[in-house]
Amino acid sequence: MTTHVPALDIHTSEHGSKPNYLNVTKGFKSWALTLDHKRIGLMYLIGVTAAFLAGGVFALLVRLHLWEPHGALFTNATYNQIFTLHGVFMVFIFVIPAIPGSLGNIVLPLMLGAKDVALPRLNLLSFYLWLTGTCFALYAILAGGFDTGWTFYAPYSLYTNQAVVSIGLGIFILGFSSIFTGLNFIVTTHKMRAPGLTWFRMPLFVWAIYATAILQVLATPVLGITVLLVALERIYNIGIFDPRLGGDPVLFEHFFWFYSHPAVYIMVLPAFGIVSELVTVHSRKPLFGYKLIAFSSLAIAVISFLVWGHHMFTSGQSTYAMFAFSFLTFFVAIPTAIKEFSWVATIWKGSIAMNAPMLYTLSFLIIFAIGGLTGVILGALNVDIHLHDTYFVVAHFHYVMMGSIALAFFAGLHHWWPKMFGLMYNEGLAKLACGIIFVGFNATFIPQFIMGSRGMPRRYATYVEDFEMYHKASTLGAIVLGSGVALMVGYLVHSLLAGKKAMQNQWGGVTLDWLSPTPPPLENFDTPPVVTHEVYDYSVLDLKTLQTPVR
Amino acid sequence: MISHLIQDPPKINYIESPAKIDALSDHWGQLVPLASTFDHVDGLFYFTYIVCIFFFVLIAGVLAYSVAKYRRKTWDQPAVSNVTHNTPLEVIWTIIPLIIVMVMFAWGWKGSLDMTVAPADAVQYKAVAKQWSWTFYYPNSKVQSFNEFWVEIDKPAAFTLQSTDVLHAFFLPAMRVKRDIVPGRQGTLWFHPTTKGEYHLFCAEYCGGDHSKMYAKLHVVSAEDYAKKPWDVLKDSTPQEAAASGENLYKQLCISCHSVNGTAGTGPTWKGLFSKQGDNYLGRQREVVTPDGGTQTITVDEAYITESIRKPNEKKVAELPYRNNNMSAFADLDDRRVNCLIAYMKTLADN
Repeated sequence: MTTHVPALDIHTSEHGSKPNYLNVTKGFKSWALTLDHKRIGLMYLIGVTAAFLAGGVFALLVRLHLWEPHGALFTNATYNQIFTLHGVFMVFIFVIPAIPGSLGNIVLPLMLGAKDVALPRLNLLSFYLWLTGTCFALYAILAGGFDTGWTFYAPYSLYTNQAVVSIGLGIFILGFSSIFTGLNFIVTTHKMRAPGLTWFRMPLFVWAIYATAILQVLATPVLGITVLLVALERIYNIGIFDPRLGGDPVLFEHFFWFYSHPAVYIMVLPAFGIVSELVTVHSRKPLFGYKLIAFSSLAIAVISFLVWGHHMFTSGQSTYAMFAFSFLTFFVAIPTAIKEFSWVATIWKGSIAMNAPMLYTLSFLIIFAIGGLTGVILGALNVDIHLHDTYFVVAHFHYVMMGSIALAFFAGLHHWWPKMFGLMYNEGLAKLACGIIFVGFNATFIPQFIMGSRGMPRRYATYVEDFEMYHKASTLGAIVLGSGVALMVGYLVHSLLAGKKAMQNQWGGVTLDWLSPTPPPLENFDTPPVVTHEVYDYSVLDLKTLQTPVR
Repeated sequence: MISHLIQDPPKINYIESPAKIDALSDHWGQLVPLASTFDHVDGLFYFTYIVCIFFFVLIAGVLAYSVAKYRRKTWDQPAVSNVTHNTPLEVIWTIIPLIIVMVMFAWGWKGSLDMTVAPADAVQYKAVAKQWSWTFYYPNSKVQSFNEFWVEIDKPAAFTLQSTDVLHAFFLPAMRVKRDIVPGRQGTLWFHPTTKGEYHLFCAEYCGGDHSKMYAKLHVVSAEDYAKKPWDVLKDSTPQEAAASGENLYKQLCISCHSVNGTAGTGPTWKGLFSKQGDNYLGRQREVVTPDGGTQTITVDEAYITESIRKPNEKKVAELPYRNNNMSAFADLDDRRVNCLIAYMKTLADN
């Protein structure tokens, strides 16, 4: 059960004996004004985790309210605000920035063998824009809240008597944070690679972050323009989306999904990157079909711009549009399927370590299979017309967003935790928490698939009694899921206070991130690294000392 | 095995006798299709569902087998194989899923065309959605029904859909049809009911406030029952009957904003609009705001209530918060129904 740790392994240096990025400077200003990608990444990590927990509390409130068919806790108006807050916090403040902002920031320069990202000041600005956007969201709550759903569909978002302009500005600012992060990572990937690190020697996490960055830069401006138009429409009554003024509400849907479908891939591609990385390290086997996975990330990035209409199959768009959008939707399933198959083939005949990061990864592979396959069901035109805007869709995208992206984020967090802090969490508790989260998650959302296929519409504060059993099951599942997440936060915080020292190369990785000292010093590497072997070539790993040869 | 999913549509109850309900299930325990759209939707659903289960079992099976067989026992155990790719395998797992999804695509596309075009002999209805109620119009009938509607069995029913305010969606899960209703546009939708019963109609596009209460009941009835125009049954020959019908209308149309027990809502309460003196009902005095912002004091009488139902924002109650809230107009509500509502309001009078 326990992993045998060779006595020869070099433990991380004692705190204080050798300065690392955590202790090299002290004080509030040394963090608030830092240009170090790792410190910025850590600040993001704290921020997005807080946003995730807030979003999670809103989710629990939603589920508890739905315990009773007539609603157990709130008025309908309050319920509408809470599910909107859940969506906005999870999508805009947590999922989109979570992996690129935190793990991407910390790991990407390490993997490239770089001292930092290409544009460190822009990186800090991205973080503060994220913080400012989040403050606008908090202000909007205090200013009366907003009840439009995270989709802000016009014309309701134009008429509702609530703080839509504040949250719109918040999302506009969050968008710029995302654009700047993407821009920074594109330049970093092009310009900062270590000698010998050719494009096809880059770890797949880098490929994924790179593909994400392209989407961030190209798609996010459309969202910015859209929310700005909603704000202008509310303030000046121009007549863009408002049918009373000659505007077109469906135009809003097109604008919104033109961003928000690629945004799904902005969210999920970094998760794919983490999983690609983790399946190879913890199977100690080269990634199966490396090039195909790298290209499928780019293929997804391109095709994802052309499928937005599948969110609007019931909106009355022309049959030709339906034809194209349904066709392309099925088409985008293929690169996604290739990835899943390749990960499974990587694990096949590997040396599979059943540690906490790998358990989270395996949970991802199971849950993402369901999330992806139910997406195929929804791609079929007729079936989607029945399932659109029901709990089936809710369950499907939670399998992708929560079950896949958040679990991949947790997996990455457990994987790079020892790298980031030089400390290990309690592995037993980590495995337990992963099990609780897996069970709780499925218990929450499988009932939602069933009630959705039977016609339960989404965003309902109350519901007909036919669905009571499923709602109760889902709420119980959510409580289990929530306790699993609470346990995870608990042992991770505990590890910072009383964790055991991690090893220099905790899992036996061969990418450059594991070559840098643990935790890394201010500029990451003692000597500039040179790459001479192919990516994921585990034959260079000296299994007796667990050191990749220093060059 | 798969009958637990989509096959069981939410039905309120069957009009047939309980013995007949058994006859609705075949010997596989599956329900007989309720509408012509079932082949298009459910057939494809089962196909995709089975394909998905196959791939899920494949993926989960290989994972489980690998984890059991190739689990790392000692820390320095290398992988059994270092294979990095296998071109034939990769081609196979690209081409086969591609073929399968193209079949799904073509099937869905063909069905969607069939479901878009209503047959020429379809009965034409109209449904108007507003926050948060449904109004139904029938061919050759001046009377509308609210939050409840009737169609004839085995006759294709086509609906023109309109919204007076924000986005709504007309969703009949039992008939497998759904269509967004965009203000300023007309949507259409049709289905062919083949089984008598009562079914849910939901609003499936979020429309604010009481979105979840925007509910109507569909009755699929026999030709004889349909000929009796069940939507046109309004009993108002005596004041008591009118008040009872008014209470019914109140529960369908007004209850989400107006209370009858004095508590505040989105709109003012109906309790005490009149006061009863002997056999006479006197309307109370009320300060109201006109659209130009001026205020005046009026007496709540039949004419004012009728105006407030059909053009609610002409004279809004000046008290906060009501002066800031807009009510959706019920411009088409006919005189008989308005009078029923007034009769009901009078039963809420103060003594």
